[in-house]
Amino acid sequence: MNTPVLVVGGGPAGLSAAHSLASTGQKVLLVDKADRLGGAPILSGYAKLVPSGEWAKDAIGGMVQRIESNPLVEIQTRTTITEFSGAPGAFKYMLAGEEQTREAGATILCTGFSHFDPVNKPELGFGIFPDVVTTTQVEQMLSSGKGVKCLSDGRVPERVAILLCVGSRDRQIGREWCSKICCTVSANLAMEIREALPQCSVYIYYMDIRTFGLYEDAYYWESQEKYRVKYIKSRIAEVTSDGKRLIVKGEDTLVKRPITIPFDLVVQAIGMDPNVDNARIASIFGVELERHGFLQRGATYRAMGSTTRPGLLVAGAASGPETIDDSIAQGQAAAMAALTSLKAPATEAA
Amino acid sequence: MPILSKHLIRDENLIRNENLVIEGVDVSGDWSTFIKTRVVQDYNDSLQEDIAALPGGENIHRCWQCGSCTNTCTINALNPDFNPRYWIYLIRIGMEEELIRDKEIIWQCVSCNKCTSVCPRDVMPEGVMRATAHWLELKGYTPESPATIFDKVFSSQVFAKGKIEEGRLMMRFFKKTGQKLTQDWLVGLIRGLVLRLPIGLLTRMGLSALIHPRTRDWSNHRMAIAEYITEQKALHRKALGLPTTEESR
Repeated sequence: MNTPVLVVGGGPAGLSAAHSLASTGQKVLLVDKADRLGGAPILSGYAKLVPSGEWAKDAIGGMVQRIESNPLVEIQTRTTITEFSGAPGAFKYMLAGEEQTREAGATILCTGFSHFDPVNKPELGFGIFPDVVTTTQVEQMLSSGKGVKCLSDGRVPERVAILLCVGSRDRQIGREWCSKICCTVSANLAMEIREALPQCSVYIYYMDIRTFGLYEDAYYWESQEKYRVKYIKSRIAEVTSDGKRLIVKGEDTLVKRPITIPFDLVVQAIGMDPNVDNARIASIFGVELERHGFLQRGATYRAMGSTTRPGLLVAGAASGPETIDDSIAQGQAAAMAALTSLKAPATEAA
Repeated sequence: MPILSKHLIRDENLIRNENLVIEGVDVSGDWSTFIKTRVVQDYNDSLQEDIAALPGGENIHRCWQCGSCTNTCTINALNPDFNPRYWIYLIRIGMEEELIRDKEIIWQCVSCNKCTSVCPRDVMPEGVMRATAHWLELKGYTPESPATIFDKVFSSQVFAKGKIEEGRLMMRFFKKTGQKLTQDWLVGLIRGLVLRLPIGLLTRMGLSALIHPRTRDWSNHRMAIAEYITEQKALHRKALGLPTTEESR
């Protein structure tokens, strides 16, 4: 129990894993490459979280405070791992800038994801028109308290389009996965925009709506029934401008007619990419990536959080698009697996 | 340019100028035939709220286009152009022009309510059809249907007297819809009644046709009903942005 468990990444999964381990008296070393803990919800300034409705800075910020005040957790920010070797129960690794090798009984990778960079879909206008923004930017507009505005001239939008599946389900750009959370997040944002700006119409352009599980009525139905958000079945082909407003072009597949509709603000629901550092992570830690570039999971049913390398665990969005609450659950599951492997390294964790 | 395969284009989208000269060149007739764009260039943001403000349309926001209503529809089985799912979409998205194209079919709903019982989201499509037909009338897109005229004649008599007198009702209805009073089937029906009904009953029917009996102490009810109707009519017209003072046709 004296050798700290190494947790790489201080987002929801890493914070949860570190807290779970420390709760049992296990020492933890929590490493994050960013200058502070919290991961995407904190670093990208998310607003209200699904499904609790709590502000990210309260919910995830609370998890950060809990870890920072825990004497069993050593925190190393602005730090990466440069070398990693050894076998389950006796891993050796080196932190960037250190010369001394450290030891870990178990290691959990909570290295998360990267937001899709929408300049990879230039036809959708991001980076060309200032009023084409991402869901992350709208989260920031809401969480900063500055409100939803057009970035070109600061005006309050009268009509907003949210385009789903930007950077997801798109073979043309090598993203063949569904990012899982964008439908729900977009419905949530649409409701927040309608609440803040009751005069503003919000249209969501979709191929399918995947507000899975209990998000169906709480987000999809609620956004239609209470907030009058309109859903249009069309994958938008192009965003241009008439010099005054943005023009969204596509085909409305339910009426089989082309559309060119003016909007003040276009929001791209950007997907979850594999962490841009995954190739390096894979080579340093000696784990395999699955075909999309996320960390390959090991056993699906017999052991929680396993990678292709025995004793090396994974939790959260590092191994595929994941929700915050499931990342937290996976962090706890990986902590359990780590403790089991420390206590009985020969047996496979349950 | 002559346009081939004109049958693929809606008539109203073909524009042809019989006399047109552009920069000194005569392009009259076929030479000036244009096709209007099929592209939808804007939405009417408030159309869905218009329909939602009328009785029956309240739940239209819920629709997710599963098509259960159209699938189960009595009229759709007879006329494939009768498509509640499609109209609900047009209303929700605000494609007013497209909706008005079907103004001659929408009111054909027979209110069997199969759609209402099958709808997974409780949209009440039958109510939406009723609200839409009402909207078309209020906006002046369609004249009042014979069924609406009958309803009005019927209810105005009830509101005035608290009772119905069939002879008077039919006379007024025929007059308003421009139908002859001496239609063969009606004459036959009356002749049959006179021959078969007991004298006492016939006498009572004859008397009520002449005297117009009313329900006792009806005036209080009449005033309350009139007040409610005026209020509702004003509400509906206001929701549609129409002047509320004008008496509904």
